[in-house]
Amino acid sequence: MKPPKFEYHAPTSLDEALDALGRYGGDAKVLAGGQSLMPLLNFRLARPAALVDLNRVASLAYIREQDGQVRLGAMTRQRTIEFSPLVAQRLPLLKEATRWVGHLPIRTRGTIGGSIAHADPSAEYPAVLAALEGEVVARGARGERVIRAADLFQTYLTTSLAPDEILTEVRLPAMPAGAGYALEEFSRRHGDFAIVGIAAVVVRAGQRCTMARLATAGAGPVPVRLRAAEEILETEGLGEAAIDAAARRATELVDPDADIHASADYRRHLAGVLTKRALTRAIGVARG
Amino acid sequence: MGVGLPRLVGARVARREDPRLLTGQGSYVDDHRPARMLYAAFLRSPHAHARIRRIDASAALALPGVAAVLTGDDIARSAKPVRAASKTPNVKTTSYPPLALGKVRHVGEAVAMVAAESRYVAEDAVERIVVEYEPLPVVRDVESALDPASPVLHDEAETNLLVSREFARGDVDAAVAGAALVVRERFRFHRHTPVCMENRGCLAEYATGSGALTLRSSAQCPGLVRDILTDLLDMPEHLIRVIATDVGGGFGAKASLYPEEIATCVMARRLGRPVKWIGDRREDLLATTHAWDEIVDAELGLNQDGTIVGLRAEVIADVGGYSIYPWTAAIEPVQTISFLPGPYRVPTYRGRARGVATCKAPLGPYRGVGRPPAVFVIEGLMDRAARRLGLDPAEIRLRNFIRDEDFPYKSPSGIVWDRSSFTESLQKAREALDYKAARDEQARARAAGRWVGIGIASYVELTGIGSAIPVSPGMPVSTGTEAATIRFDPAGKVTAVFGVASHGQGLETTLAQIVGDEVGVPIEDVRVVHGDTDASPYGTGTYASRSLVLAGGAAILAGRSVREKMLVIAGHLLEADPADVTLAPGRYAVRGMPDRSVTVRQIARAAYSGAKHLPKGLEPGLEATRFYDPYYGTASNATHAAMVEVDRATLEVKILRYVVVEDCGRMVNPLIVDGQVHGGVAQGIGAALLEEIVYDDQGQLLSGTLMDYVVPSACEIPMMEVHHVETPSPVTLGGFRGMGEGGTIGAPAAIANAVADALAPLSIEVAELPVTPERLFRLTRKAGA
Amino acid sequence: MADMMTVRLKVNGVEHEGRCEPRKLLVDFIREDLGLTGTHVGCEHGICGACTILFNGEAARSCIMLAVQAEGAELATVEGLMRDGKLHPLQEAFREHHGLQCGFCTPGMLMTALDFLRTNPTPSEREIREGISAVLCRCTGYQGIVNAVRAAAPVLAAGR
Repeated sequence: MKPPKFEYHAPTSLDEALDALGRYGGDAKVLAGGQSLMPLLNFRLARPAALVDLNRVASLAYIREQDGQVRLGAMTRQRTIEFSPLVAQRLPLLKEATRWVGHLPIRTRGTIGGSIAHADPSAEYPAVLAALEGEVVARGARGERVIRAADLFQTYLTTSLAPDEILTEVRLPAMPAGAGYALEEFSRRHGDFAIVGIAAVVVRAGQRCTMARLATAGAGPVPVRLRAAEEILETEGLGEAAIDAAARRATELVDPDADIHASADYRRHLAGVLTKRALTRAIGVARG
Repeated sequence: MGVGLPRLVGARVARREDPRLLTGQGSYVDDHRPARMLYAAFLRSPHAHARIRRIDASAALALPGVAAVLTGDDIARSAKPVRAASKTPNVKTTSYPPLALGKVRHVGEAVAMVAAESRYVAEDAVERIVVEYEPLPVVRDVESALDPASPVLHDEAETNLLVSREFARGDVDAAVAGAALVVRERFRFHRHTPVCMENRGCLAEYATGSGALTLRSSAQCPGLVRDILTDLLDMPEHLIRVIATDVGGGFGAKASLYPEEIATCVMARRLGRPVKWIGDRREDLLATTHAWDEIVDAELGLNQDGTIVGLRAEVIADVGGYSIYPWTAAIEPVQTISFLPGPYRVPTYRGRARGVATCKAPLGPYRGVGRPPAVFVIEGLMDRAARRLGLDPAEIRLRNFIRDEDFPYKSPSGIVWDRSSFTESLQKAREALDYKAARDEQARARAAGRWVGIGIASYVELTGIGSAIPVSPGMPVSTGTEAATIRFDPAGKVTAVFGVASHGQGLETTLAQIVGDEVGVPIEDVRVVHGDTDASPYGTGTYASRSLVLAGGAAILAGRSVREKMLVIAGHLLEADPADVTLAPGRYAVRGMPDRSVTVRQIARAAYSGAKHLPKGLEPGLEATRFYDPYYGTASNATHAAMVEVDRATLEVKILRYVVVEDCGRMVNPLIVDGQVHGGVAQGIGAALLEEIVYDDQGQLLSGTLMDYVVPSACEIPMMEVHHVETPSPVTLGGFRGMGEGGTIGAPAAIANAVADALAPLSIEVAELPVTPERLFRLTRKAGA
Repeated sequence: MADMMTVRLKVNGVEHEGRCEPRKLLVDFIREDLGLTGTHVGCEHGICGACTILFNGEAARSCIMLAVQAEGAELATVEGLMRDGKLHPLQEAFREHHGLQCGFCTPGMLMTALDFLRTNPTPSEREIREGISAVLCRCTGYQGIVNAVRAAAPVLAAGR
């Protein structure tokens, strides 16, 4: 399990990185935290002609607030996010999700940009991006563009990023003050990718729900927004009957695949169970 | 034994191997890198069953840095294929070539071997070898393998049925027919794999001048490997040295001879350069022996009072593509029928075992061998019977245990159990769990709608097996003895050399404790050497819960021999009758006259200082080699009790409590005994809840990474409460009973019974392990939950 | 070879320089080029944690990093834990509580626990289990390890 040969570039600026990437016409891979790409290389399942390593592009690691968004540089480590006061304050869902990402030695290396660009549908960050209706910034030879979460994920491990583009920034709207949130996840072993995970956000006004967000991990080829379940809450409020109805709806909205760990039926069942748990907990911490 | 000497045996002594392992100074195979060494990699079959038409290695050989490529044909010219022979009728002997010869029989089978300047280049070269396969129909499971229309994997066997064996006592059919209650079930214990954290690996060096071959290997059984290499490579035994210094876990997986070891020796001998192969995790999951994989149809007949009248079982094991050396394909299924009757009085019995070849990795020994499934079956039947009869699960066991007055008890399969503590262990487990309180808690939980259950599993295992019985049935290799050499140097320090090979069990500590006590020196003065066939007296290695019993017994014998000589020399030095000399801490003194004494060091110096310092006619030197054969062997037993909760929504099983009461006879080091139990239970929990090797219908391995083969992490394992009953074995030196495997034997059954108990309101039985959330989802849906 | 690259780094406080292909895994560089064989290779896909080291002070898996990525970095491996011939308090605790058997996962376990205790000096049992769940051990059932980390926590906290 040793990687095949490749050329290696460790640019120190984004422009250099784009330049290097452009030279290989789609045959190069961007190396961020490496926690997913390196195993693929070791298994020789990925065989790029070159790696463009972003770990020395210091300008891609930051967390700042701007225009009502929290903007995270693509190379911001998961561990930095885990301990960021700004994230804790403005994006508590992201903080909670981060604790579910792998293990400590994964989070010290893994990055938010890498996780999202890798687009593993069982991962937490894509679900958070979907739930918060975030967007990502991509830079390529033709310039910069902003891609909404809904337009980013195409299928397993596939995004709408062009081969010569680099995901440079993740933008997540700051959560409304007092919003309730939860990420519930079920995996067979702690730290593993989710069999199913549900990210939930609710904004409440008494028993009324002014905004509900539900997004899945592990319940299909891309993270799924459970819009019809959200609407149940937004119209029926936050009572137990509405939660149950939303959870039931969630099982109908997902179209999961089977693997050796779980059948589609069981995953669908879990989507309901975790939707209920996530909503119950989110409502519990919501103020307003 | 002298008075007043602090006993080492029985003490919680911190391990002597720890400082080197904690500081990164272990000596595992992969830590060695002799000059001019080449790295090996294997090309492995992508097909489950195929004929090899042609192999073209020219592109691989053309790659810079590649020294050689070997194929099955090349190896066949310099090494014989392995044949795991059996003396038992109805066990077929088949060939296992080091590299596939003509045909591949499972995905991952080694087809060609590359030696190159780095592992990286070796893997590049492997990709450039072109093999033309002619795919053959896949034999995917035991049912289809036994179909007369099925392709036959080994032409020489003429059938896929490699093993048939039966044990019987009395007229079981009549007994079951007349029983007041019969419980029956088809049990399925799925395929597992040991997953040692250190992958298998080896390093071969051939000295062209002397013709000597040295093989460092991650082996549990260096002696056994040396013996068979002699035959396969046609070399004299004294020119082959096998070394296994530090080994990163074995659990039975490293007790067999592997194709890669032979191929690496052949490559090194051919090139005259050291060659190292270190398996990677993919290779480990594909080509290290797998385990258990059995279907057991069993029926238990009982009287109305819950006493057993008869047990019938049909065991069928999926033994995979090859019969492994030396244990043969019989080890798993025959062991299962040997131990199915458990610690119970079973008056009539018939156990039939079949081992069937399929296109999967070979089945081999893994912690417990046959007994995790056997205990799952018998303990599952006991619980089913208890439920039907309205008896408490503890009570039905107590009514059936072999009682004190029954020992020695000959089991229906012919095993003789020496005095054991079945009843006492169960009662102590009940106390430890506070059984009444636990049942009350369960009742409250149930009333609140929670699925909480308690499961008990009692078992007995044969350990420390001597020469009367082969470790694996019909195996031609004798495994009944081990030896120890105890040697004093003139400075009074001891080197103790053993043929066993510790790979995590802490034998450097426990054996040193025994030696220290026997010859009267502190543990710091004893150095234990093991795992090196050049250094040790004849022995085979560490497996089958034997090392403490056999090597410990040999240490006692050798220690006694040395001590007797020390008493003679001390008597001479003290001008006293040796019969009046006694052992005191660190010195030998005249009885009742502590001032008249000599130190161990003075005695040792005298032993090497010539005739003037020794009694007339006494041979100089101070060392002894003794062999020990416990003949039948002994038994360990335990009761495990688990309390679990099944999450009604996610179907996840949470272990709330886990209690073990075990009896391994006289304990040498309770710290290590507890550690062995903890590790064994964790593997049993993995087997019961998480781990499963899965192949698809085409024989492709679907659980080929550690993401898919789910070994438990610290979060899935609970704190375990371990208690001891200490019944010294009446039949072994020192009273020791082997105990390395027990944790894994009891845990799957205890967990399964606890889950079934939790789901009893739904009338769900657990007949399949691992009992995953997916399986529980299906079971509970079917039951209408 | 033309595609060889130079790597300069500090390991356990000592400067090293080596040359390797860009594809060489950091763990192989540590073991083969630097001869520090205490760090082990267990799975090469980032699951078992046997290869965990401290990379610029933080626990990281050296089987899924490239050696060239360590250019200019400071690494700590298990070989660097002993001070003046004495075991580190965490190593002592592992010995006292039987936190190791075969020893193969131990270096990764120690390095992971060190980083874990740095950020969580007074952990609960549950937190310890989550912290060390990054490293798979097949021998101990984790009980001795959990006890060792719990026992070492106050000692390490006092020494900071």
